[in-house]
Amino acid sequence: MSSDNENILVAHGLYKSFGRGLGRVDVLLGLDLAVRRGEFLAVMGPSGCGKSTLLHVLGLVTPQDRGRIVLDGREVPQVESRRNELRKKHIGLVFQRFNLINVLSAADNVAIFLRVRGLPSDGRVHPLLEAMGIAHLAGRKPSEMSVGEQQRVAVARAVAHDPEILLADEPTGSLDSQNAAALLELLRRLNRDRGQTIVMITHSPEAASYADRVVHMKDGRLLP
Amino acid sequence: MAYLPLANILHHKLRSALSALGIGIAVCMLITLAGLSRGSLAEVAERWESVDADLIVLPRGWGDNASDKSGAGLSDRYAAKIASELGEMVRRTVPVFTWQMKLAGQDHMAAGVDPDQWQALTGGRRIIQGRLFDPEGRFTAWIRNKLLSGGQDDGAVIEMTERDLSEAPHSGLEIVIDTRLAAAGGYRLDQTVFVANHHWRIVGIVPAGAMSRLFMPRATAQYLFGNGDMTRSTLMFVKLAERVDPGPAARAIQKLTGQDVVPLGRYRGMLTEKFGIMFVYVDAVNAVALLIAFLFIMVTLYTMVLQRTREIAILKSAGASNLFLARQVAAESLMLTGVGAAAGVGMSFMAARAIQALRPLLTVTITWEWIATAAGAALIGALASAVYPGWKAGRVDIAEALSLE
Repeated sequence: MSSDNENILVAHGLYKSFGRGLGRVDVLLGLDLAVRRGEFLAVMGPSGCGKSTLLHVLGLVTPQDRGRIVLDGREVPQVESRRNELRKKHIGLVFQRFNLINVLSAADNVAIFLRVRGLPSDGRVHPLLEAMGIAHLAGRKPSEMSVGEQQRVAVARAVAHDPEILLADEPTGSLDSQNAAALLELLRRLNRDRGQTIVMITHSPEAASYADRVVHMKDGRLLP
Repeated sequence: MAYLPLANILHHKLRSALSALGIGIAVCMLITLAGLSRGSLAEVAERWESVDADLIVLPRGWGDNASDKSGAGLSDRYAAKIASELGEMVRRTVPVFTWQMKLAGQDHMAAGVDPDQWQALTGGRRIIQGRLFDPEGRFTAWIRNKLLSGGQDDGAVIEMTERDLSEAPHSGLEIVIDTRLAAAGGYRLDQTVFVANHHWRIVGIVPAGAMSRLFMPRATAQYLFGNGDMTRSTLMFVKLAERVDPGPAARAIQKLTGQDVVPLGRYRGMLTEKFGIMFVYVDAVNAVALLIAFLFIMVTLYTMVLQRTREIAILKSAGASNLFLARQVAAESLMLTGVGAAAGVGMSFMAARAIQALRPLLTVTITWEWIATAAGAALIGALASAVYPGWKAGRVDIAEALSLE
């Protein structure tokens, strides 16, 4: 494993389970992972192997039961408010379903995320949409956009605050092959042009082929 | 940037409109019912306060509430007694016989007053159409002569035959009404109305605001409604001489007559006391209406939170604090309530106009005080309605909401 200095995100011995007693499901079983700064990493694995849970834990959305997460050289505390602050500042999330706010336009979907993060939105939204190739959709609401366009807005929203790391959970899961390819190309461009670190959860080898490195997950652990 | 609560409201137009309408109706009810109940009483009080007098003498034992008294109760001899023994402090005494009469579908406290004292009773008002009843006092003189000649004792009832009455000057069954009663009943000058089992001729119309809406000769009222006792009235208004302190004067009159004496200024309080329970009822109805309206808002906001769990989760995933989410919910509630309250104020003015058009005798007084009260109640209700949905929004579990992919 590389040193913590080279790594933007390191997970040591992550355990996570859901439920209690007989209904308890162990999802992560001592998982170790290091994500290098500026890399595009794909995590592959079959359904139910814990990929999404891993993303939620790495994204500081769900606390791990045991284990440590080091983000940009600093250990992530378990305190909810502190984790919230770190997530707000350092992490961008993209989901399979785009989860755009239906009542807002594309530009406003990006702007409100900046506002939530305490950042000004003036002058930042349009260039970002332009970079994503969707500047012409700025005033449209999600219902007036294709799924591919919606996912691009979701990516723009996730990277609007220049996060240290972008975590994407099956970002092409709801897209047809053409839109999926375009989105993956966009992610690769973000990675190459802006040095954006990306961790992408996927079960598609084709999607994984866009990444610099692919790790495989099975039964709550990464395969060696 | 579009404001998220505003965008949500505009996106769900029908739901937002219904929520705002619920608030609007409650606010309209609050302002209109308060304006109607208090306005009508205030209008009556203002009419009584227009009498050019300082004190009211009431029959002892009738209680100190003059607002619902009528019939014969007070000997007219007190007027002369007050004039003769307290002439230095009393400028004028006006005996009035009051009786409930129904005209234009509503009961009115008709005032029987001697023609020569009508000006004092109505605060110097001029009749704008027609003339005063029994202007030469012919009926008054005739009936008093008829009934009081012979030196009967006070309270003696003398039967008068139909033939006797048919000989009476017709000016006895003349009335003067005010403009609002004329408008409400569509009454015209010289029209004959049948009320209290008699045909009365409207001989004059006075501008609204006088003590009563309906005036008649006191002698007529005494004869018809006082069992023929021409020596008693319901109450007396007393006008004091200049610079006479009403307190000591009231005590002096009370001592002299043995009757109850209250300042005219207390009449408003008497009315309020009498109808106090009505205010409680009206205020309770208003409170319930507001409560229901805000429960409606709360359910709307709560439904909104449940419907937008994923949206809330995604905002939380971006780092939105519970306070931020609660503010969004509160802002939406405040906007709905603000629009609803503004509509409610507008509707209350329309309702007031409609009420006064349909029932001209009712007075709806919309005051800034009640508009402010309604706005304050709406503000508090909006924030209170947002508390639980706001708290619920903060409790949305991001992973749980987003794991339903």
